Amino acid sequence: MPVSGKTYRRIRNIVLAWLTLVALAGFLLDIPRINILEHTARNLYFHVPMWFTMMAAFFVSAWRSGQYLGSRDPLRDTQALEAARVGAAFGVLGLATGIVWARFTWYVGQGIWWNFDPKQTMAAVQLLIYGAYFTLRSSVEEPEKRGRIAAVYNLFAAACVPFLLYALPRQMDSLHPGAEGNPAFSDITHPTMRVVFYAAVIGFIGLFWVFYTQRVRLATLKERVEDAFRT
Amino acid sequence: MTIHPIQEADTTNAAPYDTIWTSQEVPVQPPDALERTMLAQDKLYVVLAVVLIIWIGLAAFVLRTDRKIDRLERKLDASISQETSPE
Repeated sequence: MPVSGKTYRRIRNIVLAWLTLVALAGFLLDIPRINILEHTARNLYFHVPMWFTMMAAFFVSAWRSGQYLGSRDPLRDTQALEAARVGAAFGVLGLATGIVWARFTWYVGQGIWWNFDPKQTMAAVQLLIYGAYFTLRSSVEEPEKRGRIAAVYNLFAAACVPFLLYALPRQMDSLHPGAEGNPAFSDITHPTMRVVFYAAVIGFIGLFWVFYTQRVRLATLKERVEDAFRT
Repeated sequence: MTIHPIQEADTTNAAPYDTIWTSQEVPVQPPDALERTMLAQDKLYVVLAVVLIIWIGLAAFVLRTDRKIDRLERKLDASISQETSPE
């Protein structure tokens, strides 16, 4: 195991306390009022870290896949799979929260939930690419072959992230910050909000680490049990 | 001194996602019941909805992991009882 149970429990407790403080700060601290956004600007602390966490998770996953291709250690394959799973869960939450946020700010008075904003659309495409990773895995029986094919595909999937989530939406008329004609996040955000935002990003990435470690431990245990009783 | 001359947006061939914003008649619909609820309190309920979605999603994830543990436990129990039971 990469970390001892004691280290894991200590980090887990810190992460849970940290995120509690982030949620309190997110709701209680005063923020500047902007038209259209109003209080929903606080979603910066909750919606945006979902995407940062997803990208961190996919980066970890790609890193483990690279290690798998080098070492052919089954643990690396398990780590890549679990990181991608947790990352995809965070991505789905980011998409769902974004839809709700857009409905009551961008699309107020329009009665629509989804209007193919480029960043939203590309994020959905990115999740589908990872959906294909899970499907691909379940279609190969032989573990060695499955690990190799999945690892190569996973590297491709991770390579799409900067293009689909940064390069393309910034070239198009997206309503997201940083797109054509919109100022980037760092130009427009109040200093207090930036502090809480970065704290939230760290907290949610910590939560990813907790879930990821938990599931890798579980998957390793499952392997061991299956090996022990395979007679 | 003008560094970047601001160009007037050409809205004649605008894509669907920006026509809403270049047209002057926003909002076009009177707020429905859902909007009246969600826009109250300076839209704070939108934040509540977002936090609840995340909370429910993370809780569902934890429950799924727990179900996996349960399944593994049952499997382990079944294997042990099979091994120890007399022929």
